[in-house]
Amino acid sequence: MNRFPLQAGCALAALLAVSACDQKVTPPSAQYGANPVLPAPQQYLVPPMAVPPGIGWKQGQAPVVPAGFRIQAFATGFIHPRMVYTLPNGDVLVVESNGPDAPVYRPKDYIEGRVQALAGSAAPGGNRITLLRDTHGDGIPDVRTTFIDHLNSPFGIVLVDGNLYVADTDAILRFPYVTGETHVTVPGTKLTDLPAGPINHHWTKSLTASPDGSKLYVGVGSNSNITENGMAAEEGRAAIWEVDRQSGLKRIYAAGVRNPTGLAFEPQTGKLWAIANERDEIGPNLVPDYLTSVRDGGFYGWPYSYYGQHVDVRVQPQRPDLVATAIPPDYALSSHVAPLGMAFSQASSLPVRYRSGVFIAEHGSWDRSPLNGYKVVYVPFQAGRPSGPPQDVVTGFLTQDESKSQGRPVGLAFDRAGALLIADDVGNAVWRVSAAADEGRPRPAS
Amino acid sequence: MNHHISTDQLIERALGARRDDSIPRAGLFFQESSFRSRALHPRLIGAGAVLLIAALATDVAYARTLLFQWNNFSIWLLTGGLLLAALAGFALVLDFALHRVKAIDWLRFSGFVAAALLSLLNALVHSRDGYTAIVPEGLELSALVSAILVILGWRNWSVGVPHSSRPTMLKETHS
Repeated sequence: MNRFPLQAGCALAALLAVSACDQKVTPPSAQYGANPVLPAPQQYLVPPMAVPPGIGWKQGQAPVVPAGFRIQAFATGFIHPRMVYTLPNGDVLVVESNGPDAPVYRPKDYIEGRVQALAGSAAPGGNRITLLRDTHGDGIPDVRTTFIDHLNSPFGIVLVDGNLYVADTDAILRFPYVTGETHVTVPGTKLTDLPAGPINHHWTKSLTASPDGSKLYVGVGSNSNITENGMAAEEGRAAIWEVDRQSGLKRIYAAGVRNPTGLAFEPQTGKLWAIANERDEIGPNLVPDYLTSVRDGGFYGWPYSYYGQHVDVRVQPQRPDLVATAIPPDYALSSHVAPLGMAFSQASSLPVRYRSGVFIAEHGSWDRSPLNGYKVVYVPFQAGRPSGPPQDVVTGFLTQDESKSQGRPVGLAFDRAGALLIADDVGNAVWRVSAAADEGRPRPAS
Repeated sequence: MNHHISTDQLIERALGARRDDSIPRAGLFFQESSFRSRALHPRLIGAGAVLLIAALATDVAYARTLLFQWNNFSIWLLTGGLLLAALAGFALVLDFALHRVKAIDWLRFSGFVAAALLSLLNALVHSRDGYTAIVPEGLELSALVSAILVILGWRNWSVGVPHSSRPTMLKETHS
């Protein structure tokens, strides 16, 4: 792991007493749940960076699962797979994508671009959706086709009422879908535009549909870490939009969510939940990424504050009027874990204790040492609310010494048999996690 | 006649510089001014200093407007200033090798080095995201560097000591 910049930064900072530097970082467990410990913010000369280079998996290697689980490569050889989605007939869609080229506004943008490239985050995406079909029911797909090609940095995907909605980085597209087809021949029509370039910092557009199918919800990330690209670039950003599925008319459903990378409806209560990536460069334990229910009209702080009324001094002019209304998120996942995928467990056939909660894919930190995330966790729910700390389910994405990453988990979905599928954009694979006794056989059709 | 030309002479020809001291001097002031000097480094120091001082102006503009674009100007000005400072370092070595600088005024040299190091710090500060990229440390460092450069560069941007025959004149002129 490249710890040099961190040490150099700390030494320099200590020398000049410009900023403090925590050598001891409180463990992530202090930042789980409703009341995370929030240390005082720091200002860095060289922000801590610890980026394990992405090396991919060797033949036969796989992430690690606990006893009672089984993991296998569902399919490999993708071009930066970010999202997985299961169609009603059991076909699995894999969204292969990456962000558009980022403009260099400051020397820092160039340097960060190089660092991200080291971590495997800059690899070009396929800009397509691949279909996988398991005709033998053995948990290994035997049909593989390009389902939709020539997309523009797609991420979110949802099927409603015979229409497949794909959230490109700049628009929601609608494709008519006929059950069983392996290639969409009809060109997509644009349902609505989404905030995009030329600056397009957080480019992923997460997508889900309301339980009744009438509305779509789109997560639109901020256009900066903390408004450094100017407030004009933040128009319509850091927000969850509600889009009318018929008309395409839209409104901001909730604001101040820095980067809502995953959206899903909690099955018991039918309420919308989101995972979000919080701000960087004010400390290894600031600000914790989170899981939260999303209130209609709610404001969640970004950019002015975090976890309610913790003001971020980097944003000027400040808005005390908005800060006063900021809702603290429900459940902290700890800092910089970078949650990018979520799936409630109602369709799960995993061991019973993992069937009433939400699985969250933590892509992993880049601006913190020691590393955090790089795993899939399970947050148990009771009565529609989180009821305990996150539990590790899929780990081993990092090498033993944490110096390299073999994979990084992104999108999550359950396949028709109730196994958990994980898109891995460094390993360029989709992993399938099932109950050990299940031996990969699908459950009998209900 | 077949002239043997030394490497030094080749470099001097290429750079259009001459080693001989035959040009009539209007006096100490003009001889040592960067305008008349044959040395390369003062030109680079001067150009770099202009950029670093300009960064103070764009910092002030940010502090007054809170438009972060001014910080983008500042960080590029600082980056340009630092690149020219590095080039000036190489140029000084060249000037010394070609005897355009016979001795170094270590006080002035240290002053310019300090300005460059403080500007490097300043570039790191300016690489923060948001208000704290400028206020207060960025502004303070820009102001400090500007003050150092204005004082050091008031007469010229050279770090060379005037000719060995001149120090007495220098004393006389100034006392």
